Amino acid sequence: MKVSLLAAIVTFLALIGSASAAERATIVRSSGLFASPAQSAEKLMTVERGTGLTIQDKRDVDNEPWVKVSVSVLGNTQNEPAREVTGWLPAKPVVSASTQNADQIVYGEAVDSERQAEQRGGRKGAADDAMRLYYQVGQLFPNSPLAAESLWRSADIRWQLARSSRKPLEDQYLREVISKFPNTKWADQAAFDLVDSQLCGDWNGLPDCPAKEAEAYERYAREHPQSPKFGAAIFNAASRLGTVADMYRMSNQKEKAAAAHNQAMALAKEVAGNAAMGEWSYRATTLIYKLQQNIPLYGVPDEGP
Amino acid sequence: MKARKRLIATAILTLSFGVSLRSALAQAQVNDKQHGTVIGNAIMYVSPDLNSAKVARPSRGRDTWLMGQSSIDGKEWAHIMVTMSQNTFSAPRTVTGWTDARLVITSATPNGDQIIFGEAVQAEHEADNGVKDADQEAMRLYYRIYEYFPDSPLAAESLWHAADYQWQLEKSGVFARPSAREISPDARQEIDEETMHKLIKKFPRTKWADLAAYDLLDNKICGSWKGETRCPEKEADLYEHYAHEHPQSPKAAEALYKAAWRQAALVDMYKGKERDKGEKAKRRAMDIAQEISAKYPEGDWKPRAAQLVFALQQGLEVTTESERQSGKQN
Repeated sequence: MKVSLLAAIVTFLALIGSASAAERATIVRSSGLFASPAQSAEKLMTVERGTGLTIQDKRDVDNEPWVKVSVSVLGNTQNEPAREVTGWLPAKPVVSASTQNADQIVYGEAVDSERQAEQRGGRKGAADDAMRLYYQVGQLFPNSPLAAESLWRSADIRWQLARSSRKPLEDQYLREVISKFPNTKWADQAAFDLVDSQLCGDWNGLPDCPAKEAEAYERYAREHPQSPKFGAAIFNAASRLGTVADMYRMSNQKEKAAAAHNQAMALAKEVAGNAAMGEWSYRATTLIYKLQQNIPLYGVPDEGP
Repeated sequence: MKARKRLIATAILTLSFGVSLRSALAQAQVNDKQHGTVIGNAIMYVSPDLNSAKVARPSRGRDTWLMGQSSIDGKEWAHIMVTMSQNTFSAPRTVTGWTDARLVITSATPNGDQIIFGEAVQAEHEADNGVKDADQEAMRLYYRIYEYFPDSPLAAESLWHAADYQWQLEKSGVFARPSAREISPDARQEIDEETMHKLIKKFPRTKWADLAAYDLLDNKICGSWKGETRCPEKEADLYEHYAHEHPQSPKAAEALYKAAWRQAALVDMYKGKERDKGEKAKRRAMDIAQEISAKYPEGDWKPRAAQLVFALQQGLEVTTESERQSGKQN
């Protein structure tokens, strides 16, 4: 009995030991992953910025620090399972929770990569780097003051990249922001991105689509009145209703046109003149002017008054 | 006072032609508030008739003079003179014609400044989405606000947007030429500073003047470093000086970061050559990064400074060779 209890304690302590040794980390420069701790060793793969790592061992070789890490590599297809690759990395660009200001360092590298991605001739793959690095801040340092914003920025980059390359929009990362950091401005912004998935794309000259989109934007605004995107949502709803009014007017449905026109005016007035709404206040003022003057918002512009 | 005298004179003159005092005063007001711009897809006709010959299609933001208005069959027409540019080789020309009065915004239009500003923001969004010439239209619209609504609370910001648009357009051309690959800024054509200086003079000690002063640094930086340490040294001084001269500027933290980044680049450049100078640059970069953390704890610059410090402490390169060559990153 005593022996088995002792064995259990030893096993438990060993498990704790291995758990603490297996420190989670990421990397802020791309680097080769080597079979042994030497630059001349066989290179197993390239580890990109922001890749999630599990540190298994640390060693100094010729005064250069190395870490043994395992990296999860996604399969080439959706059906192919992820596999673990273990190897050695130069330790200098590796950032773990024990690194001082680790959250800020990874976040700073993410911002840097995001800027690179925006520059003409910037580093190839910089947007993906930024997306991964921001994600790691949220994963590795969940209690950091930067965690919520990082997770949101990562999800937003992923969303925008999917939109621009016309890939299917996967909402799980935006939903992760909402569930992990509810009632924050980051959750509000994630929810705003999700409105994209309710947009039609092509209106085909029919009022159904812009009307549906106006509803989606207004619903968002009512559900997120404190959101930094409130002004944008109300303006988007108002301008779409203005378009709906034009479409009904063009098909001689005067009553429906008037109703949409009035709704658009009422919404635009919510934002116009409100300095807190920034540029949306002025855009709403311009929209009100166009609605008052019956200046067409949709289709071929009138050739005269 | 001058405006008032002109209004009375116009009223008396109009009265002598048998028109009522009320309409005379209204006409005088139109004459006094006649400048503005168009905000939509305006088409100009020879006469106020859709069947008459088309004269021009003035784009948004074109300088427009409202010469008169006419109501025909309940529709409002505006008689306007518009300054149109032709091409690079020809001087601007003025075109006169009739257009939809709803699209003409002058300083007499209620909330005219806000309406043009909103249209300018709209044009900016269109430019971001690749709509051709929308950036030029945004630039002109912003300038019209400054020009015809000088007392508007939006005047300073509008002049800044117009000046910055002009600056960025010219900068992209100047830096695309082979002369921009020379070290000396004197080797390339200078970006025209007139509008920026006008802004600084008209609206001193505002954040818009601070932003203008920041743009002006573009004319002083090296085209390419070509491995010469004097370039990042000079540029680091320029940016640090700016940050200390304009501590309230929205660009102060960015300027300090650029100074620190250049000092960090010097560490890379001195590596294996002049160790003392490399150490000095490293200390300077660390000090500036510390200053960023202390003075600008909000926003992205503090984490970026922390990342730079980490790179210096670990001996990681902060620049790639191509970045050092161009010297234009960060």
